[in-house]
Amino acid sequence: MNLLNKLKIAGSIALIFGAGFATAAETGSALKKDNMRFEPYADAKVTGTFSRGESLQIIKKQGAWLQIKTKKNTGWVRLLSVKRGASAASTGSNIATLANGRAGTGQVVSTTGIRGLNEQELKAAKFNETEVKTLESYTQTAAQGQQFASAGSLKAISFTTIKSPQTNSARAAK
Amino acid sequence: MIKLNLAKNTLLISLLMSVSAHTFAFDFQGALKDAAKEAVKKQIDLSGNNTNNTSDTEKPASDAKITDLSKAEPPIFNWQNPSIDEEILLGREITGNLLGAAPLVKDSALQNYINSVGRWVASQSDRADLPWHFGVIESDDLNAFAAPGGFVLITKGLYKKMTNEAQLAGVLGHEIGHIVKKHQLKVLQKQQLLNIGSNFLSDKYAKDNKLVSSAIGSGAEISARSLDKTAEYEADRLGITFATRAGYEPYGLVDVLQTLSQTSVNDGSVALLFKTHPHPDERLARLGDAVGNKLDNVKNGQTLEKRFYKLRN
Repeated sequence: MNLLNKLKIAGSIALIFGAGFATAAETGSALKKDNMRFEPYADAKVTGTFSRGESLQIIKKQGAWLQIKTKKNTGWVRLLSVKRGASAASTGSNIATLANGRAGTGQVVSTTGIRGLNEQELKAAKFNETEVKTLESYTQTAAQGQQFASAGSLKAISFTTIKSPQTNSARAAK
Repeated sequence: MIKLNLAKNTLLISLLMSVSAHTFAFDFQGALKDAAKEAVKKQIDLSGNNTNNTSDTEKPASDAKITDLSKAEPPIFNWQNPSIDEEILLGREITGNLLGAAPLVKDSALQNYINSVGRWVASQSDRADLPWHFGVIESDDLNAFAAPGGFVLITKGLYKKMTNEAQLAGVLGHEIGHIVKKHQLKVLQKQQLLNIGSNFLSDKYAKDNKLVSSAIGSGAEISARSLDKTAEYEADRLGITFATRAGYEPYGLVDVLQTLSQTSVNDGSVALLFKTHPHPDERLARLGDAVGNKLDNVKNGQTLEKRFYKLRN
């Protein structure tokens, strides 16, 4: 009985955590072709695949993995393979219009007097020594940075620089 | 002295500025051709239009000194191999121009906070020795900028899209990556060599000192230019690398890219960002390829949501 209660509590905690990321299955789309896996591990059994642009439902997040549902399958995939929100294909189609210049009209403008940064404004800008000096006045030393890190329990770890993957040229060639 | 030297060279610098001293995206060959054209065009423009800007206070040097410039060899500023001081001076000019377009947010707690985070992340890079400066600027746009020598600015609009410190660390890490790899500086250097090759620039400018100050004034334009796409992808990888080393949850930059990818291309606040960078979807996909399983063993990264400095409006 006692054990059963514990299980119930554990179950509801798991539910809460699951819901934390995606309440009512968030929509997403595939950023690239990838495999879905039975568990959130690289060596887990493959349960299916999806192709770039395919829409899907995000069920939950666990570390760097998302549990997703496509039309055919359910499984786990690395979060960097999935775009949250609208379909990649639909935004992709707008990239062409962007290349021709700035999309839309009246962008950057704000009624509150806060400026945006468009090319014209940047071009017209004049050097502001006072602002640079103010910026420089906030400069911190490495020791201050270290102190700030310690205050937040941040611990530096050794981690090799992420390099460009060999597959990049292959991707580009497609 | 340095100031004067800089002034002399500012005409060169500012032509170069038309290339890119900014943060994100595109192809180098194209950039250089573009820059060469710009340099020529600009010279023509300027020779007919010498508006004087108040951006600098240098006195016109003596004629004798100015004519030194006409000997194609650029004096003082060593473009072949700029010193760290020269790199910082250049970055300071660019940053000052950008701040002329959008000043710092008047919130010292915010500016102190971003400097703390930025300084700690920069300490994980290969150029921890630079005097790193970070600032949040008054703009509703979503964007961030880096200039040579350790200057990093992000807009208030982008800051407000973030919800934790790991995300800020990732974005600052991306900009730090540009500076560590000298992405902007290298483009400027190449352009300078082209100009020397063309050998007409210094002759022309030597004759009209006003062109110097005029040229300085248009400096922030460079912040609207793109970098090579490969430079952007590299900065993304470095952003994650530095933030991870600093003890943060590694996917902060990815969170922000996800947010950007959901922003409509018709939203004016991302017009400049999207124009100067590969689309966030492409950046995410490239990161996915590069990251693979490399982060699988990174545990206990912090997001520090509670400490994240919240802006009131």
